[in-house]
Amino acid sequence: MAYKRQFYPGSSVPAKNRRRYMDPKVKLKKLRDVAMDDVVRIMGHRNPGEDYKSIHPPIEEGKEPECPIRKLVVPIEGAKHGDRVRYIQFTDSVYFAPISPYQRAWMYLSRYRGVDTGTLSGRQIIEVRERDLEVMAKEMIDNETFDPALTGIRGATVHGHACRLDENGLMFDGWQRYVWDDEKKEVVYVKDQVAIPLDRRISVGKPDTMANLRKKTTIFRADGVDMRDDKEVTMYGLRIHKLRTLGGYQPWKVKGE
Amino acid sequence: MAGKEKLFMDACKKKFKEEPTDLSTKYYCFGGWKQSKSKVEFQKTADEIAKKRGIPMLNEDIGVPLGQRSWMPYQLSHTDIYAETDDLHCVNNCAIQQAWDDIRRTILVGLDSPHQTIERRLGKEVTPETINAYLETVNHTVPGGAVVQEHMAEINPALAADSYVKVYSGDDELIDEIDSRFVIDINKLFPAEQAEQLKSAIGKTLMQAVRVPTIVGRLMDGATVSRHAAMQISMAFISSYKLAAGEAAIADFAYSAKHQSLNMGTMMPARRARGPNEPGGIPFGYMADIAQSDRVYPDDPGRAALEAVALGAAVFDQVYLGGYMSGGVGFTQYATAAYTDNILEDYVYYAIDQIKSKYGGFCKLDPTNMDEIMKLGDDINAYALEMYERYPAVMETHFGGSQRATVAAASTGIAGAMATGVADVGLNCWYLSMLQHKERTGRLGFYGFDLQDQCGSANSFAYRSDEGLPMEVRGPNYPNYAMNVGHLSGYTGIPKAAHVARGDAFTANPFVRIAFADPSLVFDFANVTKEIGRGALREFVPAGERTAVIKG
Repeated sequence: MAYKRQFYPGSSVPAKNRRRYMDPKVKLKKLRDVAMDDVVRIMGHRNPGEDYKSIHPPIEEGKEPECPIRKLVVPIEGAKHGDRVRYIQFTDSVYFAPISPYQRAWMYLSRYRGVDTGTLSGRQIIEVRERDLEVMAKEMIDNETFDPALTGIRGATVHGHACRLDENGLMFDGWQRYVWDDEKKEVVYVKDQVAIPLDRRISVGKPDTMANLRKKTTIFRADGVDMRDDKEVTMYGLRIHKLRTLGGYQPWKVKGE
Repeated sequence: MAGKEKLFMDACKKKFKEEPTDLSTKYYCFGGWKQSKSKVEFQKTADEIAKKRGIPMLNEDIGVPLGQRSWMPYQLSHTDIYAETDDLHCVNNCAIQQAWDDIRRTILVGLDSPHQTIERRLGKEVTPETINAYLETVNHTVPGGAVVQEHMAEINPALAADSYVKVYSGDDELIDEIDSRFVIDINKLFPAEQAEQLKSAIGKTLMQAVRVPTIVGRLMDGATVSRHAAMQISMAFISSYKLAAGEAAIADFAYSAKHQSLNMGTMMPARRARGPNEPGGIPFGYMADIAQSDRVYPDDPGRAALEAVALGAAVFDQVYLGGYMSGGVGFTQYATAAYTDNILEDYVYYAIDQIKSKYGGFCKLDPTNMDEIMKLGDDINAYALEMYERYPAVMETHFGGSQRATVAAASTGIAGAMATGVADVGLNCWYLSMLQHKERTGRLGFYGFDLQDQCGSANSFAYRSDEGLPMEVRGPNYPNYAMNVGHLSGYTGIPKAAHVARGDAFTANPFVRIAFADPSLVFDFANVTKEIGRGALREFVPAGERTAVIKG
């Protein structure tokens, strides 16, 4: 019998969203179209139009050692060209941001190849070969996992995910990399990931309404969907805990659990 | 706890002008770092120093603009003291330093073995009178006095005012015969029931609590404490019992002082590059015994656990992990979350109410009933996380996920420990909290939590020596525990919680417990947060200052 891949338990809205974001067969909704050059500007690793920096010759030119794994794995484009590894890092507010750090890691690893993720409480870094990163970053900024007010693009000084929201509903950023354009009711980036001022303002669009965000979020909260109201998710976590506990202490008791 | 005022309300109202439930606020309008009294003071001082030495120094305008949001004061939990975060950094807070100094400079040296040597080998009599004479002598030698050689340098007493030796024993008759100035009086210092337990546990052993001068520990390291004590104790024996300085028996005194003594910290592996008696070697159970709240406030087990957490946060997280292991300035913000603003307080007292109302009271929950334990753990953890979600002021106070993970897990762990009376159950609940926290919010702490907290369920009950130990004797050097700030504090509170719930007078070691009841110590271990607060207010007077040997 062929194994049918499972993604996440539960019947609640956050659980369903977790499954959607992780499942590579689900095409995530594109909500905006930030120009690729602007994505490159916000990330700040290279100037638009500038060549990619290389850290090794293209694989086809180099003498690869004899290795069965190398024969099995098809390199991603950036690896083929010898691109350096660069990053994008998102900060996700606790206040119903569409996605949160662990789901980002799960989603990235489920949907992309050649990525290295690092998960912290407020932010999630994703490191990839540069040309692949740019494609991926644009997808992530354009799609439904990004909200202009509650998702931040931040290389350093990332705190803010747990701070209250400002008078325009924006997540706090000590560097004020983005500001509120009151005329257009949009969020505009004025600094890049590491807070170097941009030479042009880049709009990432209008924030979603809180009502919609509650439908899109993966975060369980007492003032939204409480995890304990999703019995399957609650029991899933407790079961992992129980099995690990028994496995490390009285492994014979795992039988039948 | 429905209907009860949340314990963190006062702190939240002091921090922010909005209501604690308000989600919205203003940023970027508070004047940056200039809203902080301590930052302004720091900048003024740095400017003066830079001018004098000709090398630039602290410049608050370098790096991220500080103070873009309201600069929060911090309430030292269960006190009325508010402090700035700078004043809670262990380099700026001399009370935190003294807490560690007082632990490091303590070594417990039994007198039974030397007394046997004197009586059986040398044929001399040991009586209360000779013991008193010895104690008078050793209180001359340990602070730095000479007794044997006639032309000898000594330590300036003004530098060593904190140094002395006291004794204690479960033998009331013997203690009655000892000069009270040299006695840690168990009967007077502990509630009667605790005193009886302690005396029964230590028996007739006569133990010395040796306090080496703070400055000695600072100048050398923790490992020197046993050497300083051994040398000066041996000299005191020679002098008070009129022994020959070269006779073989003297080696027995030195041997017993060095090797039959009780350091506060055990030896760590070479990769840690420390001697014994450094903070990484202190077992959690010892630290729990050093914390003395339940001696002075025996009817408040919650406070006992919380004070143990506070002491663990200051010494383990701030000094050891933040200083010894990491260096820099980053750990204060993480660690102080566990002992400021009454947030963990609120969660722990909620847990105690739940244990009493739903689980039959302390130690009534069967430690083998895992389903019920998980139910309790899930209840307490959910409450803690819910408070962050319902009170944005609390969420912003603990603006780092590591802070929230620690505090939620500590309350859950303390709950498990108190409900069953078993520290390892508490530890297991800690990890339950971590897993459920991650699942609920989609986030936890920083990278290291993935290792330590994702695998912790599996080792929480393991007793095999390369995999686990009873929680009381695990310590910061236990595999996996040497990496994450914000864990060692909670790990100290968990065994404390188990044993206070049981009504035990000590957690791991009765000798350690009694030694830190001593009112002559500089740091008051019964009021940890208050002492740290006094340090923050710059009211705490530490030992070991060098002003006596600095002209002018």
